[in-house]
Amino acid sequence: MNENNKFGLENSHGDHLSNHSSGVSADWQFNTPAVSAAPPHPSTAASLVPPLTSSPFLSAPMAEAFVPGLWNHRTMSVGGSNIQNSTSAISSIPIGRSIAMSSEGMLLSAPPVIFPPSVPHFPADLGFIERAARFSCLSGGSFMDMNLLRQSQSVAPARKASKVVMETQVQNTELSMTRDKVVSLPAAYGSIDQSQMDTQRDRRSSHISNSESQETNFSEGGQEGNIDSSDVAGNSSPSDLGANKRKRTIQDMEKDQVQRGPQSSSDATKDNTETKHKVEQNSSKHGAKNGKDNSEAAKEGYVHVRARRGQATNSHSLAERVRREKISERMKYLQELVPGCSKVTGKAVMLDEIINYVQSLQRQVEFLSMKLAAVNPQLDLSGERLLAKNLRRSHGSPLSIAGFSQEMSYPQVYPTVNPSDTYRRTMNTRLPTMSGYKEPSMQMHNNPWNEEIVMQMDYDANHPPNAQEINRKLDGFAI
Amino acid sequence: MLAFRFLRALTLVHRTTPNSSNAARSRRIQRAAFASMAYSAGPRRAWSRALLCRFHFHRARRRCAGRSRTAGVPRRPSTTGSPADGLRRLVPGGTEMDYCSLLEETADYIRCLSKQVKLMQSIVDSVGPGGR
Repeated sequence: MNENNKFGLENSHGDHLSNHSSGVSADWQFNTPAVSAAPPHPSTAASLVPPLTSSPFLSAPMAEAFVPGLWNHRTMSVGGSNIQNSTSAISSIPIGRSIAMSSEGMLLSAPPVIFPPSVPHFPADLGFIERAARFSCLSGGSFMDMNLLRQSQSVAPARKASKVVMETQVQNTELSMTRDKVVSLPAAYGSIDQSQMDTQRDRRSSHISNSESQETNFSEGGQEGNIDSSDVAGNSSPSDLGANKRKRTIQDMEKDQVQRGPQSSSDATKDNTETKHKVEQNSSKHGAKNGKDNSEAAKEGYVHVRARRGQATNSHSLAERVRREKISERMKYLQELVPGCSKVTGKAVMLDEIINYVQSLQRQVEFLSMKLAAVNPQLDLSGERLLAKNLRRSHGSPLSIAGFSQEMSYPQVYPTVNPSDTYRRTMNTRLPTMSGYKEPSMQMHNNPWNEEIVMQMDYDANHPPNAQEINRKLDGFAI
Repeated sequence: MLAFRFLRALTLVHRTTPNSSNAARSRRIQRAAFASMAYSAGPRRAWSRALLCRFHFHRARRRCAGRSRTAGVPRRPSTTGSPADGLRRLVPGGTEMDYCSLLEETADYIRCLSKQVKLMQSIVDSVGPGGR
C-alpha cells in the first residue's frame, strides 16, 4: 500500500530523524496514543506499530506522513488566536492516503490544532518546499547557511526527505536571489511602512522582513483571508492599529512556518520546530540567536513583528510587546530630559524622578511668578526691549542693563518685533488714559487668553493703572 | 514665541492690577505662564489642549459646558500603570490618556515647562536686583 511504502521510507528517514528528539517528538507524541488507540485501517495500524517502539521513531514517520498535510494546515492556520474557528477542517487535509484518516483522528485528539474549513488542496511537496525555503530565508542569512549545511550533511536518502532537502537548498539559493528581487518590490511599501522608524537597523531589518513577508504573501497567494489581509496590509500604508493586525497575521504565519508544530501558536514555541526542519533543530538553537537578533530588529517595523524565540506569539502578546517597546522608548527619552536620571534604572524609580521633576518645575514657575508679580512693572512699557536685552544678555553683555534702564524711562515704542508692535503702540497710547480694558479685543487680537486674564482683572480691578506709580517704579528700577 | 506671549501677558497683568496684592498677581502671572505655554505648544498636544480648555472653561462657563476637551482624546480610566497616577495628576489632561501617550505628553510638557522656567528666570534676572 502506499501508506506502507511511505512508512517504510519514512522509517529509514526516521532513523536519521530520530536524532532530533526535541520539538518534533513533543509535537507528535500526542499522536502516538491516538494512533495506537484507534487506527481506522488495520494495515496502516500494522505499519505504524513497528515504529511505535520508540517515540522518536514514531514521531519521525508520523511527522513525515503528516508534514505535507500539516504544512498545508500550518500555512493556513495563521496565528493560533486567529484560527479558533473550527475543527471540521480536518476533512480538508489533502488526503491521498488512508493514513490521513488516522491522521484525522490523531489531529482531532490534539485540541489546539484547528484547521480552517476551506483549505484548498495544493501539492504537498510544493507547499512543503516553499515552507522550507521560506523558513530558511526568513531566519536570516547565517541561519540559512546553517540550514544548508545541516541539510547537506544530514540528508537521508529517503525519497521525500532528500527531495525536500534538495529542493530546499535549491529554493534557498533561488529565494536568496528572488529575495533581492522581492526586496525591490516592497521597497515602496517599505518606505511607507518605515517612514516613521528611527534607526537604520530598523529600516534594514524591516526591509528584509517586509520582503520576507512579501515572499510569504506571494507564495501563499490568496489561499486564505488572513493571507489576503496581509497582502493588503503590505500594500496599504501603516496605521498603528492596522499595522498591529498585520503584524499579527504575518507574524503568526511566519511563526507557524518557522517554529511551529501542529499546536496552536499560543503554545510555548520553544521546543516546536518544523517537522521537516528537524534536521536543523540543533542548528536552530545556534542559528536562532542570529535569527533572534534579526527578528528582534525586525520587530521594530510597523508591518512586521517577529516573535522572539521562546515567546508566545499570541496576537495580544505581540501587540503587548510593541506597546512595551514604545513605552520603554519614551521612558528613555524622558530619561534624557530629566537631568540626573541617566543613572536611574527601573520604571518605578524613573517615574518617581519624573514626577519629582515636573513638580519642581511647576513650583519654580510658581515661585518665579511670585517674583515677577513683585518685580515687574517696567516690562509693560517695553517688553520687546526686555526681550532684546534678554537676548543680548544671553550673549553676556552687562551694559545692557544700563541701556535698558535708560530706555525704560521713555515710554517709547521700538518696533523691532512685529507681533508686539501694534500691541506696544496701543499700550503706549493707552498708558496715560487707561481706564480698564474696554476693548480687549483690539489689544488681544493675538491672545484670546489675554482676554480672559483681562476680563478677570476687570472683574476685580477696573480702574486705570496709575501712571505715577509706574514712573515711581521706573525710578526705582533706574537706581 | 513663548517669550512674546508670556511677556505680553506679564505686562498686561502688571498694567491691569497695580493695586492688587502680590499674591493675586502672582496667581495671574502663573496662569499667564501656563496659558502662554499652552498657546505656544499649539493644539497638537493633549496637555496644551487640556490647559487651554481649562482656561476657556473658567472664562466662559456657558460655552464649554460640555467639557468638549475630551473629544479626540482617548478616554480611559487610569487602571493601567498605576504608578503613573501621580504623573497623571501633574500633567494637564493626563487622566484621560493611556500610559504610552502619557509619557509622550509628559516629555513635551517637561520641555515646555523648562522653557517657561528659563524664560521667567531670565526676566527676573534682567529686571535685576533693583526691581522693588
